[in-house]
Amino acid sequence: MAGWQKLGLKIFLEEPLRADTQEFIPAFHSWIQSQAVDGHLLIDVHDYSHVHRGPGILLVAHEGNFSLDQADDRPGLLYHRKQNLDGNREECIREVFRHTLLACSRLESDPVLGGRVRFHTREMLLLANDRLHTPNSRETFERLRPELTQALSRILGRGVFSLDRVEDPRELFSVWVRARRSFRPGYLLRRFN
Amino acid sequence: MITWKEHLGTDIPDELGREIDIFEMQMELRRQGKLDEKIFAETRLRRGIYGQRYDNGFRHDGIRSQELPYPSGDVIKGPETLWDAPGMMRIKIPYGGVNPRQLEMLADMAEEYSDGVLHVTTRQDYQLHFVHIDDTPDLMRRLASVGITTREACGNSVRNVTACPLAGVCHTEAFDVSPYAKACSAFLLGHPDAQDFGRKFKISFSGCREEACGLASMHDMGAIAVVRREGGRIRRGFELYVGGGLGAVPHQAKLFDSFLPEEELLPTAQAISRVFARLGEKKNRARARIKFLVAKLGIDEFRKEVLKEREIMPPDERWTAYLPEVPEFQETAVRPPAALNGHQPPPGFEHWVRTNVYRQRQAGYAVATLTLPLGDLSSWQARELAQIARRFSGENIRTTVEQNMVLRWVSEADLPELYAELDKIGLGAHGAGTIVDVTACPGTDTCKLGIASSRGLAAEFRRRLGAKFFQLDESIKDLRIKISGCFNSCGQHHVADIGFYGTSRTIKGHKVPHFQVVLGGKWTENAGSYGLAMGSAPARNIPEVLERITGRYLEHRSNGESFQDFVRSVGKKNLRTMLQDLLLVPAYEVDSSFYSDWGDPREFSMGDLGTGECAGEVVTLTQFNLASAEQLVFEAQIRLDDSDFAGADSLSYRAMVEAARALVKTEFLDVPGAPDTVVSEFRRRFYDTELFFDKYAGGKFANYLFRRHGSSPQSPTRDTAHQSVEESQLFIEAAHACYERMAREISGVR
Ligand code: SF4
Repeated sequence: MAGWQKLGLKIFLEEPLRADTQEFIPAFHSWIQSQAVDGHLLIDVHDYSHVHRGPGILLVAHEGNFSLDQADDRPGLLYHRKQNLDGNREECIREVFRHTLLACSRLESDPVLGGRVRFHTREMLLLANDRLHTPNSRETFERLRPELTQALSRILGRGVFSLDRVEDPRELFSVWVRARRSFRPGYLLRRFN
Repeated sequence: MITWKEHLGTDIPDELGREIDIFEMQMELRRQGKLDEKIFAETRLRRGIYGQRYDNGFRHDGIRSQELPYPSGDVIKGPETLWDAPGMMRIKIPYGGVNPRQLEMLADMAEEYSDGVLHVTTRQDYQLHFVHIDDTPDLMRRLASVGITTREACGNSVRNVTACPLAGVCHTEAFDVSPYAKACSAFLLGHPDAQDFGRKFKISFSGCREEACGLASMHDMGAIAVVRREGGRIRRGFELYVGGGLGAVPHQAKLFDSFLPEEELLPTAQAISRVFARLGEKKNRARARIKFLVAKLGIDEFRKEVLKEREIMPPDERWTAYLPEVPEFQETAVRPPAALNGHQPPPGFEHWVRTNVYRQRQAGYAVATLTLPLGDLSSWQARELAQIARRFSGENIRTTVEQNMVLRWVSEADLPELYAELDKIGLGAHGAGTIVDVTACPGTDTCKLGIASSRGLAAEFRRRLGAKFFQLDESIKDLRIKISGCFNSCGQHHVADIGFYGTSRTIKGHKVPHFQVVLGGKWTENAGSYGLAMGSAPARNIPEVLERITGRYLEHRSNGESFQDFVRSVGKKNLRTMLQDLLLVPAYEVDSSFYSDWGDPREFSMGDLGTGECAGEVVTLTQFNLASAEQLVFEAQIRLDDSDFAGADSLSYRAMVEAARALVKTEFLDVPGAPDTVVSEFRRRFYDTELFFDKYAGGKFANYLFRRHGSSPQSPTRDTAHQSVEESQLFIEAAHACYERMAREISGVR
């Protein structure tokens, strides 16, 4: 399953954002205090809010990073896997969705942020952090589209989304997942279960 | 499944490929416990793979010290450094020069193996943080495929060779030092005579004496370009300095040769390396830099040793092989030269041009500086920048020691368009080389030795000063601020007009982040002089400290007076009096914000905190005595200012004795004040027992006291007195740290 063990997923925030990005710093620190994220060893928090289209506020974990990502000038929660995921492609995709949705859901109810943060799933960005096995090309996209469609149908529902590749070949292989309607992270998580 | 090694194949130069394969094998041996941890640690350091904060598996989360149970358990990659803990990768870039393809590769590396951010250092390197060691062989292979090596980026080796970012295009340079920096870097890389150092060795090249760019005075070896007319012919050479360095005890480099002909550059560098390897300190790391050797031997004796070595070295054709290519060393512009055409520029352009554009010696061309906040840029920005460079500047991208980047050979007519493009990717900020362009080392963000948050403070300065930049007086705009997270000076605070380095204090059992204020360092004239410490203020008050100092400068400076002259004329005593109220810390119950650092909401800590009544009593007495030691060292600084070197030296010594006595008193309340008794009691109770030992520096600071107690200088000079003051300051800091450890232990026992 080379090329799928280090996936990433970005789920966007509803805008305008009603919380200051700096407020995510104490929120993430409190997650570390309670090691609140299942399956992750949380290590540290970094403020990269001064970096244009950078990781914003970064929560570093051994298995993967969570960040209040600023890429495309649209804030969202990016989960970026660093250690290999287990399982076949579909399992890897499900796993990365589960971790990202859980983190979004946790942020929505985080007491530090006081319910001022909402995510939507009208549009999500799925990426593969491996230029060697998953180069960003039309060929890769065509090859993987059937499996991606199948895996995402199980998560979002059949026929309710479209897939488009980010065409800039310099970028990681990334696919826009555009759904016909937006689900709340909590709702999708319940469907997982 | 294909690997990067297979995929890149012959794109990886043979020699680099072999070295990386060997390193990968050593990793495996270490994993299996078949390679000694210390040997492996030095091996990986010499590959640029550095440890990072919390890599011992513990982190204080603001409430308690938490164990970080990494999956590989107790497998280690060096003493107290867990295998799985994220580390830092330093990427050595000679004189900071990269081409667009290399920049794109760096961007990919940051994105795939790090946190999506490229960090530019004060040595023109790039750094990636949070890198897993298992990813490093592929990371190195991919860099090697575009001509970048990380070899000897860390460890006891020749570090990145730096040079002026304006080399080759500057109006004041004698000649372009770039090809010499490149040749020197290549020659010493992996050279057998440069493998047995007790510590690192830093080299810089500067095109002229007057400007700051090369910072020759603060380098182990600093070469300044000079020319000489000989028989109607211009001859190139270097004014060569050795034995400079910042660190805990800064030294100004000494003149080794006022004209070293160009063909003697590499053999002399080699001879210096041999002398350093042979005579330099090996056991005591704290005194192992070449500056200590030069100070010990004296520059004349050191020179003799080097020349002796030079005589007996077998000739090497590489010494001069590069010279015929020097005149051809040229960067090519992608656009023809042209003046600004007078068209309406985009908004913000004028401000940017004023601070960020330098008109080259070559008419019609300019250098554009990209102000990187805290030296950071995202992978996305780096990729976009590579495209912009291809269009406007070609291969000509360099980093600067002020943690910025420059695009050279930009046609002046293109400047408005270039600015608009840079602005689109968030790299169009004005203010390069001004007070808002704050330099900061990684500090507590990622550095294992960081005490206070240099980056947090720098971000706060940027925010506050940026908001009022246009209202600032020109004399204030021109000041430079540099911040280090601890006394090791990676932020180069000694050569800033206004510098800071992180310290800590304990107030009633709570730790408080502080910064020592260092005023009056000189950036120009190749880091012409170093600033002196004024006293530690709580981190929370530092922005106000800056306000006051700059306000006072503005009010009192006489016509055109430099900041250094202002500091001298007002005097440290008055300046300190002016700041006195800002040195105080309110009780925790009154304002707990003083007990957290900038950008970090956790309660400040240097490990596990503890309080106790017993410790409380000791604290009060010890603190009191340590305060009088601080007072003495402050007086020593004033004497130094007044050129009373003997007075400065003697007060520095008394301050150390006083601080030692403060500690001895915690065990032997009635210890007599005679220095002999204090020093011997201190040695018995705190040194022999290693109670005074710092986790990283060991007994280094105690040795300052023992050395000075053992022999007082006959006639102290400015240099030796300066050193005494610095050492005394550090000894007192170490006494504070020792006392804090004791207080913790006592409360732990209770
Ligand atoms: S000055 Fe200190 S905190 Fe800063 S990078 Fe150097 S060792 Fe680390």
